[in-house]
Amino acid sequence: MNPITSSRARLGTYLLGWVPVVALLTFVAMSQGWRLAEALVLGVPMCALGAFLFLTSWYLCRALPLRSTRVGSHWTAWILAAVIMAALWSGAGVALAWCLDRLSPLAGLYHRALAALPTLLGIGVVLYLATLTLHYLLDAVDLGKLSEAREAEFRILAQDAELRALRAQLNPHFLFNSLNSISALTTIDPPKARSMCILLSDFLRGSLRLGEKRLVSLSEEADLLKAYLSIEQIRFGSRLQVQWDLDPATLSEEVPALLLQPLVENAIKHGIAGLTEGGVVRVASRREGNVLELVVENPVDADTPVVPGLGLGQRQVRSRLQMRYGDRMRFEAGTADGIHRVRMVFPSEVKP
Amino acid sequence: MIEKTYKAIVVDDEDLARAIVVEHLGVHPEIRVVASCANGFEAVKAATEHKPDLLFLDIQMPKLNGFEVLELLDPQPTVVFITAYDQHALKAFEVHAVDYLLKPFDAERFEEALVRAKARCDQGAPSGPQPAELSDAARSDWPLDRLVVKDGTKVTLIPLAKLDYVQAQDDYVLLKTPEKSHLKQQTISSLETRLDPNRFLRIHRSFIIQLDRLARLEQTPSESWVAVLHDGTRLPVSKSGYARIKTLLEKGSV
Repeated sequence: MNPITSSRARLGTYLLGWVPVVALLTFVAMSQGWRLAEALVLGVPMCALGAFLFLTSWYLCRALPLRSTRVGSHWTAWILAAVIMAALWSGAGVALAWCLDRLSPLAGLYHRALAALPTLLGIGVVLYLATLTLHYLLDAVDLGKLSEAREAEFRILAQDAELRALRAQLNPHFLFNSLNSISALTTIDPPKARSMCILLSDFLRGSLRLGEKRLVSLSEEADLLKAYLSIEQIRFGSRLQVQWDLDPATLSEEVPALLLQPLVENAIKHGIAGLTEGGVVRVASRREGNVLELVVENPVDADTPVVPGLGLGQRQVRSRLQMRYGDRMRFEAGTADGIHRVRMVFPSEVKP
Repeated sequence: MIEKTYKAIVVDDEDLARAIVVEHLGVHPEIRVVASCANGFEAVKAATEHKPDLLFLDIQMPKLNGFEVLELLDPQPTVVFITAYDQHALKAFEVHAVDYLLKPFDAERFEEALVRAKARCDQGAPSGPQPAELSDAARSDWPLDRLVVKDGTKVTLIPLAKLDYVQAQDDYVLLKTPEKSHLKQQTISSLETRLDPNRFLRIHRSFIIQLDRLARLEQTPSESWVAVLHDGTRLPVSKSGYARIKTLLEKGSV
């Protein structure tokens, strides 16, 4: 995209820049004994032509970027292009003069123009080179802005990848306790030991796979949670119950990968594990208009003091949502009536 | 000859984790498992009732954690800690515990711990550290957020936010909350070291107050100072206690 025509403001400024050129041409012509009318009648159309003709220098600018190492050899191409374009331009000017010569008040214009051809040629070369320089300058500015934007985007991507990597990291406490359960089951209930091994493998594979992605469908995330919760149900027995309130219509929604996993992990660690009788972990989703709402709830022990503020897991989830959705997301977490509730609302996205 | 028997209690909030310990103990006729407990409250109750020789104790449990359980037991049984992963605990164990088992463990490792624990029992009184010390070492990185008190077999948790002041009574401390006073076997100095100095202040040899409970200071006719709490309680302030309050006032934290 030509950096001048890419924005109206730039194009306007560029065309305005040709006004002094008209003035300069008129001044030069009049100093050579031209009349004002003669100078203007030829100068204005020529400048209009030049303004558009020299925009073609963009192609040269693009073909010979300054970043390349052999800038020295560009000179020949630049000069050659300038001479050709200036010749075209001044040739067109002389042709116009020849046409206008037929009109009686402008008789003799063709001869004057022909006489001024070398001067016109020189001015054409200078103007072409000036336009070319402008293209290079604007291109460099645009490139700078683009790389800044890219850098910002990369930074966000890197942070997100880092957070996901953290998420995909195994919670050692969970892993060792699960292995201990398997160890106990090998004598008590060997088939159950085997199925727990398989659940654990499913969960590990799933969290590695999801950790590589930025977005997954809600149903993929839910499958991972199901494997995780099945393992925890073997560990905690009847103390852990799970209530799924996922609206089927939301299952194809795209959500940041491993978004719910840390919240469900917290629901067990800070909720169920602290309750002698256990309780129900509830995971819910629904779509309202064009936003998606996700909720994770768990009971908490009344005797355990509430730590103010968000824990590490919640902070990470919130900052991932913030990075992706900015102001268009909401993250709320709080405890009321013995239930800890995390609610997230962000724009709905369905994979095309 | 009759072989000596040992009474043991197994404490873990996970059924399967208890099952595996009970299974390993099953091959030892000299060990009698008198109770199997799923949380700290049950453990304190069972231990008070049965006075076990051996305690196989998980650390992370609902209500009371393993350290808090141990803190409430008198006499102290010989303890083998069993934990999945806990850096804080490991620090303490390296110095103090009879043994600790990391989940999952095999039969040989369990035997080793059992042999060591039985030897400790046979020696008589456990030569280990005081439990408060043990839990200090293990919890040094954690802010203390509550105190545990046992009255008979009843265990009460006192969140620090509820504590108005502490009064020394010989080897005990009286913990005063708006509803009730609780007696706990601990010296006031050892309790003082566990409390956040920005929240609690020793105003007297026998008193620690929670700072936000302090309404004002009054001078008596005999030129000594009295702390008046928001609920009207008047407590004596020693010279050094007054100096400490003044320092805090100057720092602007009161």
